[in-house]
Amino acid sequence: MMWRLTWRRFRRSKLAMFALVYVALMTLIAAAAPLFHFEPDAIDLHHRLAAPDGAHWLGTDELGRDILARMIHGARVSLTVGFLATLISVVVGSFLGAMAGYYGRAADWIVSRLIEVVLCFPFLFLVLGIVALFRPSLATIMIALGLTSWTNEARYIRGEFLRIREAEFAQAARASGARDARIIFRHLLPNAIAPVLVSASFGVAWAILVESSLSFLGLGVPLPTASWGSILSDARSHIEYAWWLILFPGLAIFTTVAAFNVLGDRFRDALDPRSM
Amino acid sequence: MGAYLLRRFLYAIITFFGITVATFTLIHSVPGDPISFYLGHSGMPSMSKATIAAIQHEYHLDEPLPAQYLHWLRSAITLDFGRSTRDRRPVTERILEKLPNTLQLNGLAFALAAAIGIPIGLWSATKSGRPAERASAVFFFLLYSLPSFWVALLLMQVFAVRLGILPLFGMTSDEYLDLDAAHRLLDRLQHLVLPVLTRAYAQLAIFARFSKSALTEVIRQDFITTARAKGAGEAVVLWHHAMRNALIPLITLLGLTIPYLISGSVIVEQIFQWDGAGLLYYDAILSRDYPTVMGLTVATALITLFASVFADVLYALADPRVRLGESSR
Repeated sequence: MMWRLTWRRFRRSKLAMFALVYVALMTLIAAAAPLFHFEPDAIDLHHRLAAPDGAHWLGTDELGRDILARMIHGARVSLTVGFLATLISVVVGSFLGAMAGYYGRAADWIVSRLIEVVLCFPFLFLVLGIVALFRPSLATIMIALGLTSWTNEARYIRGEFLRIREAEFAQAARASGARDARIIFRHLLPNAIAPVLVSASFGVAWAILVESSLSFLGLGVPLPTASWGSILSDARSHIEYAWWLILFPGLAIFTTVAAFNVLGDRFRDALDPRSM
Repeated sequence: MGAYLLRRFLYAIITFFGITVATFTLIHSVPGDPISFYLGHSGMPSMSKATIAAIQHEYHLDEPLPAQYLHWLRSAITLDFGRSTRDRRPVTERILEKLPNTLQLNGLAFALAAAIGIPIGLWSATKSGRPAERASAVFFFLLYSLPSFWVALLLMQVFAVRLGILPLFGMTSDEYLDLDAAHRLLDRLQHLVLPVLTRAYAQLAIFARFSKSALTEVIRQDFITTARAKGAGEAVVLWHHAMRNALIPLITLLGLTIPYLISGSVIVEQIFQWDGAGLLYYDAILSRDYPTVMGLTVATALITLFASVFADVLYALADPRVRLGESSR
């Protein structure tokens, strides 16, 4: 019931629907990329730094590689990191938040101190440090991001659990002899997950932004794998004339990040119309 | 009040231990030899076994990890983070040398962002739901979603390459030392424009959104309805009743953004070759200069901790409910 109402309110926002379609399309293209026989790493020294034309719609880079093909493969990197890093932080955050909110006392105290410690760390330093010292790869980036950004999710779940753990349906479940695990996962979590999904949508946007920053700094997915940030990084040496190297990958990052941010914002509004 | 502060400080000390243990564990779980960890890779092969043993003893590497941690902690408390493996100079000295450049760039950017962002946010809270406010909310969302390194490249492209009116990167021109005082100032300001803009725009969006939601939260509450009901004019309601209460969460926000001045500065300093703490950190992780990496991380975490305690104390002073212990935390 709640979900249908939320969806109806969400659908009313044209911007939100546009963002949803855009994200779905991007994900589809990224997932289907191997089917199209693009060659993102194919070097063509006769067509180095070619401006956009019929053969290369978005131009080529300093090694004559097709920017469109590289960007489609970049979408795979960005979206993989975005979704999986967020999944890690949702799982970790929900688990710790649920423990803190459900058991209270010592569990709550420990989780709260843990959150304080993580929040005190300079985020970018920590992620850069982990990624660089343990060698940059898709896995280290996702783990570094996931392990540093679960605090919001934990706080939301903790708050919701504190609110509903003594609610009648929870007491009823307890009275009928349900074990803690069942109460937590079957009864409480589904009722507490909505604000986490909002935060997850912002989280995907954030993860994509950080991944592209890491790649831009040369600490992302190792070369020659294409990513949006590394195309922009290469563009720095040709800033005088190769505008297409700067414009297109930047637009891709910007629009994707914006779409996920809009999704999160409108979803939050749809959940809680008072906040509009 | 006393009990609240005492508990806050106690938690801060626990958090401090958490930070140091986490950093120490993290650094020591990096694959590699602990001697190269302190000395860098270069000095290793030429040394005899005896020298290595002596160094191991000097850095307490022959002791178990918890003991090593305590040695490290003892010096870290006095802000002694050891010597850089790059130039053998004390880490603290290197940080203090670069910090003013970072604070100059980021201080300007944050002041600019707060001066523009907060009034806009407060304004939009009072105009909630109107077309102009809806449009500005979407605009800030888009602004917030722009990757800063892309914005930097676009700004460089337009102002440095096409128009040629601002320098591409660096902190000063090559002929800086030959200039007189007035031109030196002008030269520095010119070099500041693009990095400050790059740093300010996203923060502006954050300040605007946060101050908007802070004021909206207050306006929704019962005592505002009461004030309106007893016939207070809208201006009195806003300025006298609502604004004061909205400023409290803003204090906390400003406190919490101070540490971000340093760590958030890595990207912009790397792009514009700005010789600050962010660039120092970037160079340190690339050259695996562990003492510098560790020192900067812990130092920034400590500043964050101080800032958050400070913000909480201000919060308690401003809000009697916290001071008198009514709040659950």
